[in-house]
Amino acid sequence: MNAFIFLVAAQSDSQVAQIARTFGVDWPHLGAQIISFSIVCAVLYKFAYRRILEMLEQRRQQIALGIANAEKIKAELDKTESQRLEVIARAHTQGSKFIEEARAAAARVQQEETNKAVAAAEQIMNKAREAAAQDHDRMLAELKREVGNLVVQATTTVTGKILTAEDQRRLAEETSKQIAV
Amino acid sequence: MKITKKAKREAKQLYRFCLLNGLLDENRARQVVQRFVATGERDCLPILTHFLRLVKLDCVQHTATIESATLLPEDLKTIVQTELAHRYGLGLTTAFAQRPELIGGMRIQVGCDVYDGSVRAGLEALKRSF
Repeated sequence: MNAFIFLVAAQSDSQVAQIARTFGVDWPHLGAQIISFSIVCAVLYKFAYRRILEMLEQRRQQIALGIANAEKIKAELDKTESQRLEVIARAHTQGSKFIEEARAAAARVQQEETNKAVAAAEQIMNKAREAAAQDHDRMLAELKREVGNLVVQATTTVTGKILTAEDQRRLAEETSKQIAV
Repeated sequence: MKITKKAKREAKQLYRFCLLNGLLDENRARQVVQRFVATGERDCLPILTHFLRLVKLDCVQHTATIESATLLPEDLKTIVQTELAHRYGLGLTTAFAQRPELIGGMRIQVGCDVYDGSVRAGLEALKRSF
């Protein structure tokens, strides 16, 4: 800026000088202030502004890193969510499969138990039928025996009285004929 | 008392001595026993025991027991004795007995042979059939 001023001053010294005088510019004093201001600017740049910029750069990097991490976390979260949904779906499928298998096993067991119960009932019925048939046969045999006894008793009682002497002789002769045979 | 095979064999020999024409002669049997006892044989008792059994068996085999519900007429008795003699030969002793429980008919037993034509036997058979 100073060079520009000096160049402008060199080209139009008369006008500049006149304007400077009008506005009360003291060149040496202005030059000193410019130098001192430049020094202050340099010092500030070296010891304050550059560190602030570095700090800002670090903050910017941290923020970028944070954003990147957030995006990464979001991606991981999405991935985890998809995996969770997939696991849930798989678990649901597997659970449904287990339930179906359990239902099939329960139905099979129920069928087997039903078959066993039917067979046991059939066996009991057969045994009951056999027992009833045996009882029937036994009672029939007892009845026949009783009837036979009654018939024999009645015949014994009656026969002795109705057999005549001729009957007795005929019976004895029949026995005698058995010897000759 | 144990009867050995030797005692049985000797008892059977004594029994054969007592046979006369295939029939047991009582007098001969008495004589045989008396003489055997007189010999003082050591196994006298078992031999005579078996001999007695053989004689009893012979008696049973040559004895006909005829049972009837009523008394048999003499002619029928003769017929029965004739039939028995024809079947079992001479030397058969017959014994007649009356058993009213037979109801009717006649039952003849000769040794192990039984001819039962009694009403009681028929009724028993009928009872068994039930």
